[in-house]
Amino acid sequence: MRRYLRLVRIFVGATLSAQLEYRANFLGAVLASLGEVGVALLGISILFGQPGVTEVGGWSFREALLVTGFFMLTEGVISVFIQPNMSKIAEAVRTGNMDFTLLKPIDAQFNVSTRNLNVLRFPDLLIGLGLIGYAASGLVVTPGGVLAALVLYGSAVVIVYCIYLGLSTTAFWFVKTQNVTELFSGVFGAARFPVAAFPVPVRFVLTFVLPVAFITTVPAQALTGALGGGLALASPLIAAALFLATRWFWRYAVASYTSASS
Amino acid sequence: MAEYRAEVVIWMLSGTLSLVMMLVWMAQAAAAPGGQIRGYSAPEFATYFLSTWLVSQLLVVWVSHELDFQIRQGTLSPQLLRPVDPMWLHVASHVAERLVRIVPLLALVGVFTWLSGASFTREWWAYPAALGLAALGFSVRFLYEYAIGLLAFWTESSASFQEVVWLVYAALGGMFAPLAFYPEWVQRVAVWTPFPYMLGLPAQLLAGKATLAQAGRGALVLLVWLAVFWVVRLIVWRVGLRKYGAVGA
Repeated sequence: MRRYLRLVRIFVGATLSAQLEYRANFLGAVLASLGEVGVALLGISILFGQPGVTEVGGWSFREALLVTGFFMLTEGVISVFIQPNMSKIAEAVRTGNMDFTLLKPIDAQFNVSTRNLNVLRFPDLLIGLGLIGYAASGLVVTPGGVLAALVLYGSAVVIVYCIYLGLSTTAFWFVKTQNVTELFSGVFGAARFPVAAFPVPVRFVLTFVLPVAFITTVPAQALTGALGGGLALASPLIAAALFLATRWFWRYAVASYTSASS
Repeated sequence: MAEYRAEVVIWMLSGTLSLVMMLVWMAQAAAAPGGQIRGYSAPEFATYFLSTWLVSQLLVVWVSHELDFQIRQGTLSPQLLRPVDPMWLHVASHVAERLVRIVPLLALVGVFTWLSGASFTREWWAYPAALGLAALGFSVRFLYEYAIGLLAFWTESSASFQEVVWLVYAALGGMFAPLAFYPEWVQRVAVWTPFPYMLGLPAQLLAGKATLAQAGRGALVLLVWLAVFWVVRLIVWRVGLRKYGAVGA
């Protein structure tokens, strides 16, 4: 365990020094983050700005803003921690670099999941946390609610990671996987609104078929204390099940990997 | 392009923002007293957003991404030896992709129309007018994206500029709601940009909520922007090429 923590420290140091070489990128990344939050806020304020509209699917503006905050935070988590690593899997399979990863005396899934970071999108995380803080300041939040939200957001991150890893692992057979993850980001766009804002059949799909509801709506509900016990239990269970499934899928993919040259 | 059929469909489905907004507004209208918001009922929202989705599919441009790659990897060099401007190569591949895209696109629109209860206009002139605006809009978008892609001559972050411009395009184009739903000051800014005329206006035409006169005015604005971006692209190209030569030498 300690060995893996030390490795994480080395990996972070290495990517930091590699990325900070290009300082002009930082300006562009900050622009992109600001644009993203601007558009998210515009979308939700148009929705609430119509005459006679005070709530969307039973959610007040503050509560919906909480969901937007969790959405921005998750976008940050994806672009800082998950996407930079996952996009490299396909490349490594195509060029044969995966051979070196598999030969190293550490767990290969750990290696491909933690090797890279995109520190330039770090502002997204701060913006997301800021939005959550601002929205929560106008709502009644109990310490128990915060604790529950923390735990449930933890399982949300695990769910996102597993979906990404599962999709990227298909690279061992299909080589090009950028499209598939792109498809997921499209679906994930629905997470910027509370699930209750959608028509009932779509709500069902977003909760049980593509577990998008667990990523933003459920932690937001936990924070305001509006969460039922069923969903609160379901989230960690789904996360655990997905983790085991992707772990198995990764092992299976590696076992059938025959390197680029053969 | 026909080689990448599966990819084309996946790319089409991944541009889901307008579909997400469609579902949200439909639920809103269904829950509102009287069943409508600002005169839009649920099926009318469906029509508007399906139209924006259709139009936005015709406007897809990925040239800045390719230029960024070509400039950084140096694969632009052999293209410079040819007697035509490399821009036309990109134009051709974009147009070809549109031809591959159109059949699955119409099929998907058909399915979504059936599922959501949307109904498009019966006026025949709305269709050629919308198509014309979309073609103009595509040309405008292609040129400004080309200019942004060429920024790769100077900076590593042309991709993030492209992202920002996409966000402005989506917001002011009317992907979140018909433009009349926006705050007053945003509308006042938007009318000076090309975005409402390339996305929102053709969508409104298809939904039967815009007149031929509005389409004509929109076309004029787009033509002006087309001229502006034509010059901008040309200047950036000339200046950038000198910079590129300096790197190779």
